[in-house]
Amino acid sequence: MKKIGFTTSIPVEIIYAAGQVPVDLNNLFINSSRALFMLDLAEEAGYPRNTCGWIKGLYTAALETDIQGVIAVMQGDCSNTQALMETLQMQGREIIPFAYPYDRDPEMLRLYVEKLMAYFSVNWDQVLQAKKDLDQIRQHCRELDRLTWQENVVTGAENHYFLVSSSDFLGQPQTYEQEIKACIQMAREREPNLDEVRLAYMGVPPIFTNLYESIEAMGARIVYNEVQHQFSMPHSSDHILDQYLAYTYPYGAFARLKDILPELEKRNVDGIIHYTQTFCFRQIEDIIYRSHIKKPFLTLEGDKPGKVDARTRMRLESFVNMLKMRGKGR
Amino acid sequence: MLGIDLGSRTVKIVLMKNREIMACSLYDTIRFYRQFSRSSRGKLQLDFNGLNLDPETEMVATGYGKIAVTIAGAQKIPEIQAHAFGALFQSRCENFTLLDIGGQDTKVIQVQKGDIVDFATNDRCAAGSGRYLENMASVLEINWEQLSSYDQNPVELNATCAIFGETELIARIVEGHPTSHLAAGVNYAVFKRVAPLLKKLYSDTIILSGGGALNPALVRMIREETGCQVLPIKEPRLNGAIGCCVWGQGWK
Ligand code: SF4
Repeated sequence: MKKIGFTTSIPVEIIYAAGQVPVDLNNLFINSSRALFMLDLAEEAGYPRNTCGWIKGLYTAALETDIQGVIAVMQGDCSNTQALMETLQMQGREIIPFAYPYDRDPEMLRLYVEKLMAYFSVNWDQVLQAKKDLDQIRQHCRELDRLTWQENVVTGAENHYFLVSSSDFLGQPQTYEQEIKACIQMAREREPNLDEVRLAYMGVPPIFTNLYESIEAMGARIVYNEVQHQFSMPHSSDHILDQYLAYTYPYGAFARLKDILPELEKRNVDGIIHYTQTFCFRQIEDIIYRSHIKKPFLTLEGDKPGKVDARTRMRLESFVNMLKMRGKGR
Repeated sequence: MLGIDLGSRTVKIVLMKNREIMACSLYDTIRFYRQFSRSSRGKLQLDFNGLNLDPETEMVATGYGKIAVTIAGAQKIPEIQAHAFGALFQSRCENFTLLDIGGQDTKVIQVQKGDIVDFATNDRCAAGSGRYLENMASVLEINWEQLSSYDQNPVELNATCAIFGETELIARIVEGHPTSHLAAGVNYAVFKRVAPLLKKLYSDTIILSGGGALNPALVRMIREETGCQVLPIKEPRLNGAIGCCVWGQGWK
């Protein structure tokens, strides 16, 4: 089976329909014990120091893995994608273009999806069948997420891991399904967490490897992982076009806010952590989120893969502490 | 109750009893670690004899974040909390924005009805901090007191980086500006750097702490440019350590 790499969620149904294996290069990079080294390799190849760490990691991951080609999301993901893909192309990687229309135009999306389907030589029946199969698994994602915020028996780290991995289902949907079912079963036996502080995490997944554990050790828990939640396609729809129109991440800050604001209320969060990546254009969007979200808000910044640094830890501790003491008088 | 603030440049220790400061001392951070502490099993053991402290006293420490150590036997609290508590105690005020300009970092903390409601810290570098002011004073060949007295006709400076600021300042010296205008420019550059934070975390009362509070020119600029009242506190440099004691003794 051929492997197909990608750098942000794409309609994986198409790849599965073609009998190929999708590989989310982000997960491959960040889960590697060599993550930091992979970044150095990209810098050695000439990537500037002031470029996002994820992009550098993706570059090395795409070169080191035996993939057939890389799907390049030219609109709706990252402002660095084009240069990343061009440098990969220079190294002989095949680039398969895809895009999410900025204005969320359904007809445009259909065209892009059909173009991708043509590349993989699959028809609508095959794609919809693949969607049906994956939707079964996505049901478990929804349940795990509900157990996180409603029953309070799933940790922020578990929620993050399973939802972030639902972008490619680890390339092995059966294994993923077994793993998530086991986690759900285990969680159901637990006593609910009496969280002192409930937090939301928004923004791209963290480059820190122990963020969730660190937060939990401070007596707080993340009950909402915004982008990861979106990766799991939380809103059921019959057609994949509707599904990828409802998916908010590629359509900008305002589309994301429409999803975020009600989730914050529903999940009863005390504060928000907005993670931004050093050198990422999304740092600018922090302005928009701050002005629209009327809850305590902490913006974190991460650069290279590794543990939470001392300064970030200090800020996190202060934030959690502030929320704990709020309104409790002294 | 002992309060210990492990700052990046100086370590501050305060002994308080019944809400009164009984003793205090300040150490150069590097000297403090070299002479008065040793680390064992991942914790810092203090040399109580050398520091002239009673090992039986309860301790609360802050500022450990930057060096990621904990002092054996001490409770630790985050810096933001320590500084806010210190200012609450020292000012007897419940609504204010605290601006702490320390050796290597700057913190802005907004307090309403006695609770911290928001805070911000500087970027990962020492731009606009005490280190910048010190370096610029030495480029101008004046001391800290002199630097801190000029606030008129500031020369425009843009870089508040403790290193690159030097190049820019030298360029201005070459242009022939008088020292007083150059010094005012340095102070104004620091103000410009914190101004957006003061605006974002607005209160009509501003309290200054850290070494920056000992700069009257900066205080005047803040008062004039923001139109806010700037409340003095008695011990701006010890504020974090005092906050530790106050926290340890239980507020009220
Ligand atoms: S963090 Fe930002 S710059 Fe980096 S890959 Fe993601 S979108 Fe691009």
